[in-house]
Amino acid sequence: MTKRFDLKKFLLNYLVLVAIVLLVIITIIVEPKFLSGDNLTNIMRQFGPLSFVSLGMTFVIIGGFIDLSVGGLISLVAVVTVSLIDPLGQFNALIVGVLFGAFLGFLNSMVLISCGALTQAEALFITYGMSAVYSAVALIYTGGSTQHMSWLTTPQTIFTAIGSGTVGIFSVSFIIFLVCLLLLWIFHNKTYSGRSISYTGGNKVAAELSGIPIKRSVILIYTICGLMSAVGSVVLFSRITTAAPIIGKNYETNAILSVVVGGTTLKGGKGSVLRTVLGVLLITLMSNCMNLLGVSAYMQVVLKGAILVLAIWLDNRKEQ
Amino acid sequence: MQTSFLSFGKRTLRALTRQKAVIAIIAMLILMLFFKTNFYTSYNLLNVLKDAAVNEIIAFGVTLTVIAAGCDLSVGGVMCLSGITAIQMMNGGMSMWLAIALSILIGALVGFINGFFVVQQRTEAFIITLGMGMLLKGVCQQLTDAHPVSCTNMEFMKIANGKIGGVIPNLAVIMIVFGVLVYALLRYTSFGRNLYAIGGDYEVAKYSGINVITTKWTAFVLSGAMTAVAGVLLSSKLNTGSSIYGDDTALMVNCGVVVGGTSFAGGVGGIPESFIGLMVLQLLTNCMNMLGIAPYLQQVAQGVVIVGIIWLDCFGRKRKREDV
Repeated sequence: MTKRFDLKKFLLNYLVLVAIVLLVIITIIVEPKFLSGDNLTNIMRQFGPLSFVSLGMTFVIIGGFIDLSVGGLISLVAVVTVSLIDPLGQFNALIVGVLFGAFLGFLNSMVLISCGALTQAEALFITYGMSAVYSAVALIYTGGSTQHMSWLTTPQTIFTAIGSGTVGIFSVSFIIFLVCLLLLWIFHNKTYSGRSISYTGGNKVAAELSGIPIKRSVILIYTICGLMSAVGSVVLFSRITTAAPIIGKNYETNAILSVVVGGTTLKGGKGSVLRTVLGVLLITLMSNCMNLLGVSAYMQVVLKGAILVLAIWLDNRKEQ
Repeated sequence: MQTSFLSFGKRTLRALTRQKAVIAIIAMLILMLFFKTNFYTSYNLLNVLKDAAVNEIIAFGVTLTVIAAGCDLSVGGVMCLSGITAIQMMNGGMSMWLAIALSILIGALVGFINGFFVVQQRTEAFIITLGMGMLLKGVCQQLTDAHPVSCTNMEFMKIANGKIGGVIPNLAVIMIVFGVLVYALLRYTSFGRNLYAIGGDYEVAKYSGINVITTKWTAFVLSGAMTAVAGVLLSSKLNTGSSIYGDDTALMVNCGVVVGGTSFAGGVGGIPESFIGLMVLQLLTNCMNMLGIAPYLQQVAQGVVIVGIIWLDCFGRKRKREDV
């Protein structure tokens, strides 16, 4: 094997990395402000909510399922947490909110397991129905009105720190992200449960026959997804200091987009949280660069869709 | 004599338990007997048909792709786009029918592109079409600058809002015509039978000499074209094209198709099933409107019904797997 061949293989494997580098170089040439400190902090902040949701979604997709309920789940967790800050105090509200998200994810997995849904399509529609329920409950809970954190009487130092605090040059949310990433990476690669998720996604029947606890994998992936979405939800409403009952809209498609663009295949079994980080980075950098370059918001949606289609197509060609 | 009657009863019962959507509809119809509402008026019942028409026409097209073991989540975007392009071309001075024809052609083109990726390049149908839907949404926003566009040609509005003989809404008739056409296409042509074969087992169909790629590709083109028809009708109904239409259309329609009993594994289902599946969702909305249930609660009920019916479906399949 020659050195050159290796490089080609590496580039094919990490096309998204190539895309990121190209994007950054072009933007720097056209708009040198990209490298200013303000913009870099800005990117780190924009990295926030979506990256958490995508981390959770990675496990669902590696496990060969899909979760469309995160949109509704984020909205519901946000409004519930904000409404709990006054009666419970900020720390308790935070804990309850995150656990509530994990519980909702667990609920998804129980619905799926109880009817024996094994395919992505079944999971797609069941979680879509659950999403409708969650977002409707969020609307009922608040009566459709937005919850403003500025109306609260309890101090919200924790949420302010999550939303806009910095440690050195890093924003607090970025540090939380790194911690989550590390924990999830260790979980995925170094524990039995983590690896059995990959096997479940690879081939469910084979995994079950080889004694891999599929049901536990399903519970785990959805609970993790719920938990991470809840963390994302907290970061999101801390940053904008309001929780509208439709706050989580479109997060499900964007999360799936970043996971798939990162290179985790939808067929399940292959992928990693690190790849997802690259995917989120590309999506975030793309919107930042396009904003700097003055591309209209509508064209950005077009380009996002085009990139999704292209990424999947290239990914597929690579396999063949 | 009696035994044959019994077995007939048993068969009907079995068919009914398989058709959960039919049971749901019957339950709703019976329930509405107990409330004093305007539900059982010809006006309201025709209205249900009229309201369902747009989604039903999309569902007929989507059913073709689902039978061939694909799916089409780009329909929301196609629906928006065709309505907007039709109105913009008309406002630009083009004749009405030409504008409509061109819009339908655009829909077919989107279906063609979907087909290229999904069938020719063998990628995952639902994520590709999801991305395509997203892309088209952006195109619609770009075309209209995210403002609704209204049509200046008053004739356009009459297509969807007219009534035949002053009673039967045009939309309902158009829907039924499309339903019958696609039903015949699936049932009585080799194209339709081949679609079932492809959905049942792609490889077997291929080695049996069916031109799998062309056939499945055509299904996607038809789905795109029919969605475009529905989009034009929706814009005609509201006399407006807007990029905000169809945010949940894609999932709602695909869900309705599955609720009716067309399986995502492919190879089973048909137009009557999809019609019933979408009807469940439409009737549910209408019943709850009649009963004066708050919109947020309606959304909960809709979610619960979707989860419930698909849950029962999966559960039945699980039982069957374990029996074997």
